[in-house]
Amino acid sequence: MDTVFAQALINGLLLGGVYAAYSAGFSLIFGVMGVVNLAHGELIMLGAFTSYWLFDFFNLDPYLSAPFAMFFLFVFGYLVQKYIINQVIGQPHIMSYILTFGLHLMVANIAIKMWTQDFRSITTTYSGANAAIWGLNIPYARLVTFIVALFVTWALWFFLMRTETGRAIRATAQDKEVARLMGVDIRNIYAITFGLGAAITGLSGSVMSPFVIISPEMGLEYTIIAFCVVVLGGMGYMPGALVGGLVLGVAQSLAATYLNAGVSVAITFVILFIMLIIRPTGILGKGSVA
Amino acid sequence: MNYRTDRIILIIFLLISTAVAFLPYFVQSEYLLRLITVVIFWIGIAGCWNMMSGYTGYIDFGPVVYFGIGSYVAAIAMTKYMVPFFPSLFLSGLISAVIAFFIGIPTLRLKGAYFAIATFAFAEAMKQISLEFDRTFKVSFFQGSDGITLPISGHDNSFFFYCILPVTFVVMLTHYFIEHSKFGYGLKAINEAETAAEISGVNTTANKLRAYATSAFFLGLYGAIEAYWITYITPSDVFNVQKTVQMVIMTLLGGMGTFLGPIVGATFLTLISESLGTRFVEYYLIMIGGIIIVTILILPSGIIGTLKIRKRLRFI
Repeated sequence: MDTVFAQALINGLLLGGVYAAYSAGFSLIFGVMGVVNLAHGELIMLGAFTSYWLFDFFNLDPYLSAPFAMFFLFVFGYLVQKYIINQVIGQPHIMSYILTFGLHLMVANIAIKMWTQDFRSITTTYSGANAAIWGLNIPYARLVTFIVALFVTWALWFFLMRTETGRAIRATAQDKEVARLMGVDIRNIYAITFGLGAAITGLSGSVMSPFVIISPEMGLEYTIIAFCVVVLGGMGYMPGALVGGLVLGVAQSLAATYLNAGVSVAITFVILFIMLIIRPTGILGKGSVA
Repeated sequence: MNYRTDRIILIIFLLISTAVAFLPYFVQSEYLLRLITVVIFWIGIAGCWNMMSGYTGYIDFGPVVYFGIGSYVAAIAMTKYMVPFFPSLFLSGLISAVIAFFIGIPTLRLKGAYFAIATFAFAEAMKQISLEFDRTFKVSFFQGSDGITLPISGHDNSFFFYCILPVTFVVMLTHYFIEHSKFGYGLKAINEAETAAEISGVNTTANKLRAYATSAFFLGLYGAIEAYWITYITPSDVFNVQKTVQMVIMTLLGGMGTFLGPIVGATFLTLISESLGTRFVEYYLIMIGGIIIVTILILPSGIIGTLKIRKRLRFI
């Protein structure tokens, strides 16, 4: 195995970890409510900005500000679901797509108004630092994000499987009418689910902030990647985001190394399209099919 | 079905279209003529989306791909093969429809969010491919991000007005046909209960494919006309997801699956963006976001749809 290939593989896995970290929330929200959240990227943006401002004002390290981002986005997500998206529960799913698209426009453009379109970045002591092992570079910040992705997947699984609220969420996802008859307050569960999805997305935005460019307009491309990741892994299947993220990350990294960066984006969409046609339930075949 | 109101609406529509056709002789201001042309252009494009997604309920998130294909076919035919405008225009529509047919066969089996994402992915894939094709294969065909410059037409705005008006007219007539034909009932049945429709003898696949390919044909025409009008195209422009969004929002605002919906929605939104967009540039997108959210929450069936429900009227 030559060094170029090994480095491409490592880059791909680390990139995949980043993808997985910010796609898990998207998968959760879709799996439970059937909402394709087109404002997903904005949640990442808000998470990253929370860290940015705390770093800017208080010189707080992004890893320490992550809990604040999580809390802030939980509240934000909870309120958005409770007062806006809950209004269209009984209606066709298209309504929720367009509603979240409206949210995307509003949040992104209000952010532009408040914080201007400038590109920002957080420069910490470890921002550009690499660990060099056997001639291969491993950027610390991305490694941490990778670990966060693993942790988020595990924590989410634990929460859904082992807690009472998690059980209510799973019941609502399976059959919301029956869950309601069993005494689950589904509107509240929906709000908690969206809040939870937003919180882990905000967390990912926060831990990504040391190595990504932060701007109010960053959201849409993240939403698109999250789409691809979640479809590859199986929509609504939690560990799928991890699998989908890693597969996509490695595929993109190899394409970018051996062809060029533009082609790797083209490949992403071709894979997504083919995947939907031949295997809409994802690589593991465990996603839900509407 | 109340055919009388429908017929009255059709007659009014025909009268207005005829009146509009003479507008270039009366309108002196080039700006006003251009604005009217843009409104008619968007009515047609929103209509294309409505034809497929409004009636069947299959939410297409990548209709812009056929617009872009139309633009590129026309541009390549005119610059590389020296085909005159009108044959290339026809070719654009045809190729768009053929591609839609072959893409439709696998994608139209998908439902709900999956169909939406697949169409979206196809549109983005085409954009990236047309951007990267030349660099990857070392040829000069799509000309990537450099874009293609079309021969300058030398025509004035009224020429494009007369290109766009008939297409939009035919798109709207197709709507009328859909509303009053077995084909249209089939499409509406797919929206309401696809399995039940299939059991009742509706050939759902053929109906969906027809609607999809027809809408792609017209989108191809619009793409070609716009390419010739603007004379310069790049993949990021013609495959811009913003166009898809416009189509969806206009139709939704007017009322999905109605004849008057695209007309009302496109006119309203184009005039809004023309008046507010120029005066409050910075707040424009925030307001559009707000309008979308308010529309969905207050008028989920759109302006026309809500009117129909409130007044208990049955018209197109």
